[in-house]
Amino acid sequence: MTQRLHGIMAEFKTPEALMEAVKAAKRSGFTKLDAFSPFPLADLAKELGVRTTVIPWIALVAALIGAGLQYGAQYWMNVVDYPLNVGGRPLDSWPAFIPATLIVAILWAGAATLLGLLLILRLPRLHHPVFAVPGFERASEDRFYLCILSVDPLFEAEAARSFLEALTPQAVREVPACD
Amino acid sequence: MSSNAQASTSPVAEVPLSRRFGLIWWIALGASGALVLLLGYTLISVTIMGVGIWGVNIPFVWGFDLINYAWWIGIANGASLFAAILVLRRHDLRTAVNRFAEGVAFFAVICAGIFPIFHLGRPWLFYWTFPYPATFEVWPQFRSTLTWDFWAISTHVIVTSLLWYVGLIPDLATLRDRARRKTVQRIYGIFAIGWRGSVRHWAYHQRAYRLVAILVLPLILIMQSTVAFEFGVTLVPDWHETRQPLHFVATGLAQGLSIVLLVAVLLRWGLRLGRYIDEEDIDLLGKLVLASALVSGYLYLDEFVSAVLADRMTQEATFDRMIGDEAGLYWTAIVYSILIPQLFWFKAARQSTIAAVFVGFSIGVGIWFDRFSIIVGGLQTDYLPSVGRTYSPTLPETGLFLGTVGLFAAFLLLFARFLPVVSMFETRHDEHEEETS
Repeated sequence: MTQRLHGIMAEFKTPEALMEAVKAAKRSGFTKLDAFSPFPLADLAKELGVRTTVIPWIALVAALIGAGLQYGAQYWMNVVDYPLNVGGRPLDSWPAFIPATLIVAILWAGAATLLGLLLILRLPRLHHPVFAVPGFERASEDRFYLCILSVDPLFEAEAARSFLEALTPQAVREVPACD
Repeated sequence: MSSNAQASTSPVAEVPLSRRFGLIWWIALGASGALVLLLGYTLISVTIMGVGIWGVNIPFVWGFDLINYAWWIGIANGASLFAAILVLRRHDLRTAVNRFAEGVAFFAVICAGIFPIFHLGRPWLFYWTFPYPATFEVWPQFRSTLTWDFWAISTHVIVTSLLWYVGLIPDLATLRDRARRKTVQRIYGIFAIGWRGSVRHWAYHQRAYRLVAILVLPLILIMQSTVAFEFGVTLVPDWHETRQPLHFVATGLAQGLSIVLLVAVLLRWGLRLGRYIDEEDIDLLGKLVLASALVSGYLYLDEFVSAVLADRMTQEATFDRMIGDEAGLYWTAIVYSILIPQLFWFKAARQSTIAAVFVGFSIGVGIWFDRFSIIVGGLQTDYLPSVGRTYSPTLPETGLFLGTVGLFAAFLLLFARFLPVVSMFETRHDEHEEETS
């Protein structure tokens, strides 16, 4: 019995070659693709249909919650629950509540965006099938990889392998599934 | 398995992975470690014996604690502000500078945070500034600038450390992949949290990083203004000025830039990173330092002009700071933070390591005297006929200050030893863009 696969992976020398490979794979009807690169490739992400619009929304919603909570807490504590007259100043001195409100809004937005980022990326994780591929450590320096995942409806190990080999990569390797 | 790739950024990764780091590093770490011990000693003694061992007393309730707090927070905010602007402008300088500019900001804010907590006198009760449901049913007074400060410092620490770490993750993955020893690989591997360079991950990572970097911009402006408001909201004639926030933001930026320049030339020299922090970067930093010093100079001029136009009491108080008993502080600040940086009009000075270290230091020293002049000199003339005494730091206060300098230096040395000091993935990205264009 053959080993269950996570996918088939091809290694390329340049981001341009990777881009061509992704385009070719999409033309052939593959839909479940993953690409790896040592630096951000905005155009390729667009090609793979990655949409990151959720990030600013997380920031906005978190900022509003943070600001609301902070202003509300200040108002309730200093006006309602523990009104303290300091030199006859108004209890609801809203200008004095603004700096902390803005700061805490930024705190919530910043923390929610960065922690939300990790949640979306499903990190931290201890292992991933791609790490088993020999030579994959160069993905963090100077090599570019395209992986056709086995969950792709068109996936068939031999066909995918010969398709990738036709793209003249540095190497084509199987990515065994972990579990 | 470890990668032997000879990529353009490999030399940066080789620095943290090298087995030996030279005698100078050990000597420097030893010296700063000794100062950290001194810091521990002064903090324990002030905790046990109370703030009576400091030179502060009515009306000089703020001495070295607030001078050094305002000074460190200026460095932190200046460096953060600079890093945020570079990201916002997508400027090429960011690849070389951002990593350690954010590092400088993070280390400086830790040093800054020590002072207000111990200034409380009972540092173990510092959490009283946080609104928690206490049994005595008393809430913090949010109309006080001091509570704004609590939120500002804690937000700065949390947001800059998170931002710094998230920016480091891909580079930690590079170190994990290049590590030759199993233990080293495991340690970097844990901190790299399984980063695998997926293009999808990169897209999210960049969006989030950029967004939060931009959020830091308003945070810094509010925070530095909050420090200034601590003086502005009092009734002391020289402090009760709406120009204070501008003064603190502008001089803070000069200070942050000068420390970033100082660290840049030291890293470049010490780690031989001339290729990543190149001459153009240093030249541009020098010009920015000069420009920020000119802005500080303009604000000193503005201080003089507004004093001329102000009421008699304010006028007397401001002029007293310039020509009174504490005038030395004021003029030292002018010489060090405004006049000496004028050296940078000359290209040769901007290119010279020694001149950059000299100017970087001198702005740091100059702004420190500026804070001293504001906090101590500003109190010399009050509405009371006689102030009666003045302030001078005692030995435990000086030790505390030197201790934070040591802590900052120790953090920087460890950072240079164990982490990539320039962003490797940004450098790769830039080099690729240059090749294709």
